[in-house]
Amino acid sequence: MKLKILLVALGLPLLSFAGGQEIYSENCEKCHGFSRQGSLGLPLYRSTVANHSDQYLTKTIRYGRPGRIMPAFNLSGAQTAKLIRFLRAGVKAPQYDPTPIVGDADAGKYTYEQYCQRCHGAQLQGGEGTGKNFSWQKDREVSPPALANQGFLRAAEDQMIKRIIMNGIKDTEMMAFGKEFNFTDKMANDLVAYIRSYEKPIEQQHESNTSEEPLVFVYESANDLGITVDKLRDSAAAYNFRVYPSRTLFEGLGGIAGDDEKQVVIRFCNFKNMQKFLKLDPRLGVILPCRVTAIEDESGQVKVYLENYMHAIGRFNNEQISIDAQELINDMKEMVEEAVW
Amino acid sequence: MVVRALALCILMATTSVFANHGELLIERVNAKFSYTWLALDKTIKAHKYKAAYLQRCDFALNERHYKSDKYRILFYGQYDEMKRMTVKYPELAPFIPLKITVMEEGAHSLIIATPPITLLPLVKTNEDRMTIFRWNEDMKSILDQVRSQYQ
Repeated sequence: MKLKILLVALGLPLLSFAGGQEIYSENCEKCHGFSRQGSLGLPLYRSTVANHSDQYLTKTIRYGRPGRIMPAFNLSGAQTAKLIRFLRAGVKAPQYDPTPIVGDADAGKYTYEQYCQRCHGAQLQGGEGTGKNFSWQKDREVSPPALANQGFLRAAEDQMIKRIIMNGIKDTEMMAFGKEFNFTDKMANDLVAYIRSYEKPIEQQHESNTSEEPLVFVYESANDLGITVDKLRDSAAAYNFRVYPSRTLFEGLGGIAGDDEKQVVIRFCNFKNMQKFLKLDPRLGVILPCRVTAIEDESGQVKVYLENYMHAIGRFNNEQISIDAQELINDMKEMVEEAVW
Repeated sequence: MVVRALALCILMATTSVFANHGELLIERVNAKFSYTWLALDKTIKAHKYKAAYLQRCDFALNERHYKSDKYRILFYGQYDEMKRMTVKYPELAPFIPLKITVMEEGAHSLIIATPPITLLPLVKTNEDRMTIFRWNEDMKSILDQVRSQYQ
């Protein structure tokens, strides 16, 4: 009987009776905010969503934005429909003709460089950092979307892109280029063709895979614990890290008895890099501060353990920080290699 | 006891299948930083963990035109259990104590953590996998309870 109740209880979460608001609270408000005002994610104002077809929103939820924070969500069709209805808040969904727009991509490239590149980037990579953030430094209030993102290109209809170019998006920095700059129909078509030229076949889209790399790098030190710790501190300073006072591994957890001095944590930080990475992604704290742990075992052998931060950074779904962080992590590995040699 | 063990095993299996381990744990709290910090400290204790120390990451943020410098990391754990685990698996040491990041965002706060379940590949026995799994469930529960206090 108990077992039956248990199995039913475990199965219940798989059935969803939640409404759109509950689905939003569960999945979206962490990044898009309580009032859909935007945060780590872009704002989801009614006026923004009014430009998007149900198909665009469905694909955006399903595929996310690879490398641009927004993850792919595994919601059922019914859950997705409820969520979209909630986001629309009564605004009618636009219908777009799915026929691809034909235009001159070369001419579109010229127009792009003149009018769009300043915000959306030379490689259509979008603005730096996350969607919108109220507490952290931003060059713009809302980070311009990455038009070359394969998640966006897979979701967006050509006609939707054209409509946004010509009419802009209310309450955002995206201007109505038809009205403000007298864009012609041909200019918009060429621009859409240029943006669409960045779309890759699905088989060419690949995600960086760090799963085969170790979670932890382990180094054997040729020295005793005291010398190893001193050399790690010196090496960190030589690599332009500011070095904090060392801690024992269980400091603060086990009282005086718990302070095993044969387990030492060396903590360090490069403030310039920290500022740079915080600007790219305020969730950086989950890997701060940088640290290595030196442990002396019963035989007197000292080993140094360095977390492979690429695994944690990979969870940010932020391509920009993944690329920039690789160099920093290579520096840390060299730093430890020098210290244990 | 058998039912409890079976329940945990089934939960582990279902979590492995359905949960996306590739993502961070994030909750948005409808409270300013100081309230969230207090609630987090209390909730950690209520889950029978001890707050070890905090790390401030507010170096010159205000001077650099950030809108807030409220950014802290709370390290927490259980000494006996974590000591036992790191003796058996020293590769766990870089991830101990566990940590939760708190940052202010306007009138709200964000609490963020890496899910401990990502440490599963570092342990070898079912009993130790259950320990990691429990750390993960406790962390999720802590974040959820802090959020729900200010709903």
